[in-house]
Amino acid sequence: MSGILVYALHHDGAFNKNSLGAVSEGARLAGELGTECHAVVVGDPAGLGDELCASLGRYGARKVYRAAGPEGLAQPVVDAMAKIIGENGHRYALFGGGLLGFEIGAGLAARRDAGVCMEVTHVRVEDGKLVSERPILQDSSVTDVHYRSDLGVIIGRLNAFEARESGDASATVEDVQVDFEPHSLKAKMVTRGEQRGADVNIEDADILVAGGRGLGKAEGFEALEQLAGALGGAVAATRAVVDAGWYSYSAQIGQTGKTVSPKLYLAAGISGAIQHKVGMQGSENIVAINKDANAPIFEFSDLGIVGDLNKIVPKLTEAVKARKAG
Amino acid sequence: MASPNGHRSVAPIEFPPPVDPAAEFIGPPTDPEDERIEVGVAIVGGGQAGMACAIRLLQLLEDDPELAESLGEVPVAVIEKGRVAGAHQLSGGVMNPSAIRSLFPEDDSWPHFGEVGKETVYFMLTAKRALPLKPTPPPFRNHGNYVVSVAELNRWLGERAEEAGAYVLSETVGAKLLVDDGLVVGVRTGDKGRDRQGGEKSNFEPGSDVVANATVLAEGCWGHLTGAALKGLGLAAGDPQVWALGVKEVWEVPQPLDRVIHTLGWPLRPQAKYKEFGGSWIYPMNRAGAQPRVSLGFVIGLEYADARLSVHDVLQEFKLHPLVRRILADGKRVAWGAKAIPEGGYWAMPRLHAPGMVICGDGGGMVNVPRLKGIHYAIRSGMLAAETIYSRLKSGSHDFSPYDRAVHDSEIGKDLYESRNMKQPFGKGLVVGGAITNAMVVTKGRLPGGHWATHRDADQPLMLTDRHERYPKPDGKYTFDKLSGVFLTGNATRDDAPSHIRIQQRVPRELAEAWTWMCPAGVYEVPEDAPDGGEHVDLIVNPSNCVQCGAITAKGGRLTPPEGGDGPVYQVT
Repeated sequence: MSGILVYALHHDGAFNKNSLGAVSEGARLAGELGTECHAVVVGDPAGLGDELCASLGRYGARKVYRAAGPEGLAQPVVDAMAKIIGENGHRYALFGGGLLGFEIGAGLAARRDAGVCMEVTHVRVEDGKLVSERPILQDSSVTDVHYRSDLGVIIGRLNAFEARESGDASATVEDVQVDFEPHSLKAKMVTRGEQRGADVNIEDADILVAGGRGLGKAEGFEALEQLAGALGGAVAATRAVVDAGWYSYSAQIGQTGKTVSPKLYLAAGISGAIQHKVGMQGSENIVAINKDANAPIFEFSDLGIVGDLNKIVPKLTEAVKARKAG
Repeated sequence: MASPNGHRSVAPIEFPPPVDPAAEFIGPPTDPEDERIEVGVAIVGGGQAGMACAIRLLQLLEDDPELAESLGEVPVAVIEKGRVAGAHQLSGGVMNPSAIRSLFPEDDSWPHFGEVGKETVYFMLTAKRALPLKPTPPPFRNHGNYVVSVAELNRWLGERAEEAGAYVLSETVGAKLLVDDGLVVGVRTGDKGRDRQGGEKSNFEPGSDVVANATVLAEGCWGHLTGAALKGLGLAAGDPQVWALGVKEVWEVPQPLDRVIHTLGWPLRPQAKYKEFGGSWIYPMNRAGAQPRVSLGFVIGLEYADARLSVHDVLQEFKLHPLVRRILADGKRVAWGAKAIPEGGYWAMPRLHAPGMVICGDGGGMVNVPRLKGIHYAIRSGMLAAETIYSRLKSGSHDFSPYDRAVHDSEIGKDLYESRNMKQPFGKGLVVGGAITNAMVVTKGRLPGGHWATHRDADQPLMLTDRHERYPKPDGKYTFDKLSGVFLTGNATRDDAPSHIRIQQRVPRELAEAWTWMCPAGVYEVPEDAPDGGEHVDLIVNPSNCVQCGAITAKGGRLTPPEGGDGPVYQVT
């Protein structure tokens, strides 16, 4: 067996979106390699029912290894994955984006003497082996990383792998007994907070309404919140307005904030400097409202509106509400 | 002087930065004695001067195990604020190889882009026309010199220094000069992990007192501790230091450039009232097996008067000239950066030593402005500092005054003395100034003699003109905005760090505009709804854009180092 093993992070009865993306990607690659994609979950058995585990089958996992252990910590997962790979000979370990994946992937690479590549944005099959593509130098170039080791560790960039349903919820669930290393049990989860105190996870939102300096004042975000509410999306912000204290850092998009790729990104009063662009250029549809027709954002928007956002945004909100009501 | 809208014109000096460098950045050690980090020689700044000093010291110590032993476990430490040695390094750069050859008599593997072959100086008459100056004016003759990237050269020097046994502490800031009873005893490194208000974040790490038998300030153009030492230890020269600001781009081009080019004139305005003194360079960066590259940049003295002058945008305007277009055609910009250059020359050179301490390189004003050279002075001064420190420590003394004499007796002192009055005549306009300057070159500085005084850049009253209307609108392919340049530098400074830029934020519009236009990195912004009349405006400051060029220190503010590791990560500048 030379399959692909994917770590799936769960919390409160649901799997993390990036983990589902990684399982989907693992299934696609396994298909091309003619092998299988397996998933591993680690946590309190009470929160990891058969049905939940088997649901990973919808994203292409054929088998799900379930290990009882501390939740949300890296070292126990390293122990579990090292044991499963040692017994089953997986050739690749794959992680979706996020800090936990980085930590587990690095630990696993050290434990199994494996080659590791992080911030991977795409993986392809070449001569029956996987090649990771990793952007470097502020994303100006992409490098190919080949693995020489028996095990290759691939850690994706946040949101690099899209969750796609490709099967049914019928993955086999296999319980594994893991003897954790003594040091793996020394850390314990004290509290679980959203990263940077986010109340809305903008990385998961399908629709984002983002505001920039062009809003004129902090109160301008109220109109954006109403529009986001009407659209069923979340509100994001540029560095400039976060710096000005108009909105919270957890909503910051860009080079020094979050990277998002929603289905719709509506940019209100955002000039579109490259530092912002790199955080949202993966969005499927970009709509920009700006009073300056020369703003760089119009160069990479699908739809551009030159005008006063203080007039356009409330009307847009009304129109969306009317449409939804009708 | 009245400005067009009727109110009195303002000079940056009227709004000085809210900081007293001598009081804040100089003080005695504060760590308990057993917690201090003890090194032999502490070198602040891992540029060419600092690395040359480290390498020369270790060469001398290699033959003197006894003194090396007495300097402890870490005989030589280099404190570098950039992420790696070279990360904050930027130059034109054509280097005179004399100093590096004497530092490495048997190793010529230092990285360069070949010896300068042909060279041409153009006087740019208009936006379309250029006149080659023949014969090439003497200061621009570069035969025997080499095109280099100091960002690259410095990584090489850093490796040599580490091989020789230097401890290079990168991502570490020299925040405070430790002075105990008149003797410089080391530096305190900067804190890490403070939040916007200065509070301690969960990853807070306090700085440490690094105590040393000798402290070398090799901080480069705007020297944080050097500036404090000049004030606090009374080392400043009679003339104030003045600076120019250079903005640079590196392009990959299909056809290699076959010569070194300098230009004078357009797009600068020749009228004396604007005080626009500067010019451009275009250098070939050709290396076997690599895509040909071109280094180009524009330098303007910061004594200019127009609040709407922007060196970055002048460079973009300059690229529209057909002469430049031909060179860059079908090319791609691969790097950008900016740096201030000390231009005060001989009269602005400070005393280069204090008990326990010496100053090297740009921080000591060692730049030959008419010849556009300073890299070899930096290396030479680092070597001379090493030699003085070695011989003085050997005799158990902290008096490094012989270093000052050694610098003035070397090519550094001689060259700078010859060109001592070279820059000041340009205050009289380009034509008259050019004639006086030529007389100086020909007579090796004897005519006109005397001492032509300079004024601080921040003393210059500001005017508002329509200068900015000439800047091209960036197209993102050939002409660029400031922030796309900042992005290319690899700068990803933490947004919630305390601001490292000390400046008054409520200032007259002229001054707010002057800083906004001047800054090549878009650190300052005038709010859109700011009043247009004579009222003060509330300047927006974005410190995380800063690429540490230092211009703000010349023009009425005070830069300090950011958290260690922040700022640009230059690769080929």
